Amino acid sequence: MVTGALIPMPTDPGLTRLQQWLSPSYPIGAFAYSHGLETAIGTCAIISSDDLRMWLTDLLKNGAGYSDPILLVAAYRSENAEALQDIEQQARAFAPSKERLAETALQGAAFCQTTSAISDHDIPDLTYPVGLGYAARRHGLPLDLTVHMYLHSFVSNLVAAAQRLMRVGQVEGQRILTDLAPLIAQITQDALTSDLTDLSGSCFLADIATMQHETQYSRMFRS
Amino acid sequence: MCSIFCREQGIEETDITIRQDINTATSEAAQPRAIGAVRVVGRFKGGKSCLANLRQSGALKLLFPRRASGLEAVMINTAGGITGGDRFSISAEAVGNCHMTLTTQAAERVYRAQPGQTGGMDTRLRVGTGARLNWMPQETILYNHCSFQRHLTANLAKDATLLVVEPLVFGRIAMGEVLSDARFNDCIDIRRNGQRLYYDAVRLHGDITAKLSRPAVANGANAMANLIFTAPDAGRHLTFLRDALPDTGGVSLIGDDLLVLRLLAKDSFVLRKSLLPILDRLTDNGLPLCWRL
Repeated sequence: MVTGALIPMPTDPGLTRLQQWLSPSYPIGAFAYSHGLETAIGTCAIISSDDLRMWLTDLLKNGAGYSDPILLVAAYRSENAEALQDIEQQARAFAPSKERLAETALQGAAFCQTTSAISDHDIPDLTYPVGLGYAARRHGLPLDLTVHMYLHSFVSNLVAAAQRLMRVGQVEGQRILTDLAPLIAQITQDALTSDLTDLSGSCFLADIATMQHETQYSRMFRS
Repeated sequence: MCSIFCREQGIEETDITIRQDINTATSEAAQPRAIGAVRVVGRFKGGKSCLANLRQSGALKLLFPRRASGLEAVMINTAGGITGGDRFSISAEAVGNCHMTLTTQAAERVYRAQPGQTGGMDTRLRVGTGARLNWMPQETILYNHCSFQRHLTANLAKDATLLVVEPLVFGRIAMGEVLSDARFNDCIDIRRNGQRLYYDAVRLHGDITAKLSRPAVANGANAMANLIFTAPDAGRHLTFLRDALPDTGGVSLIGDDLLVLRLLAKDSFVLRKSLLPILDRLTDNGLPLCWRL
């Protein structure tokens, strides 16, 4: 049925805040991290855009795309400072390599500092998913949307990183992101019923790539 | 969260156990299960590492080969492998300046499990001030339809040294076995002074061979080793290990006292070939003799 009339919709301030936090312009330095893609592309483990799509699918199902939302959800639901610190300690201990620890710790610290500076909430320095989960809870933002947008920005950032490292056109990059949207939605739903006993990972070669990146001859990225 | 894996592998999420209606005590006890436990404490006395306490029961035994230095304990699973419902627990502690090494007599085989039953292995390690513990079992071989859960926790004093290496083989490769339906859960939790230092968990459920064929997972590798070395001077081994690793491995000094290494290989033979020089280095050429046989 087409009525032709525009229905006025109130803008959800929570949605705007999440969009701000998870946009590439939020100063957490996301552009500096390739999550091992620079090595995987450099060693020809990823050559085509199909390879890139497969690799990102693996990261979502078995890598940080699977484990970060579990940490985010746990931080969001933590009831006191002690519980939050336990989650933070586990997040750091779970980092598979030096650069992956830096990736989550430095982005997290920048996120927490910026978010503290522009709000009434004091957010301590935490790893990225833990800090985001905690900040979202303090701001009363919906958990499902926070996880969903976090995963989307994670993949979006890696597509952008790949576009600087290999031949993936602008449209092709967006096509990959579109193809992965249902998987992102699925993983978001699964994460909502998770707890820290589910924290695990099996992207062994992606983890190894971030280790090898430490000694890569020519590098643009910090991971 | 199992649901992701189940969906991915196309497995029905309903109960896979086929329960029979015969519910008598005799049918419950029909399958014998192996239960084994050891507890070993090593100390430093009279200028050498020696046994302070030993307790063993059931299907797990320890042998202590004579060695020039250090205390070496070889675990023997008298049940000859692990199947669903088996329970093994190991507790080892090194105090004083004791250097203790724990290994296995041979590769551990994890056999097909009865539906709904899981074999378990629980390992607890404690390493005191000035002590060193090497946890280095030989390969664990997962058979198709196995169901196995491992949990290793380690508590370290401030300057304690711990080496953990766990080689894993996915299926009997020589006979072309694929892990089309198996379950493997693994967790390693290491704390120093009560603070979490390292945490790793792996869950492989369903068609494990298909998952391992994925490019960012293992790209078809059938053998893997996870190695953690934590010591105040762990960093001095970094360059050696980097040079010793093939393209399918990586090593990282995550913290000043924490070195981690992950290695993939097409089979256990290739894995061992890469691993032996690394273990020689990290044990100061003190690799247990049974590793050489």
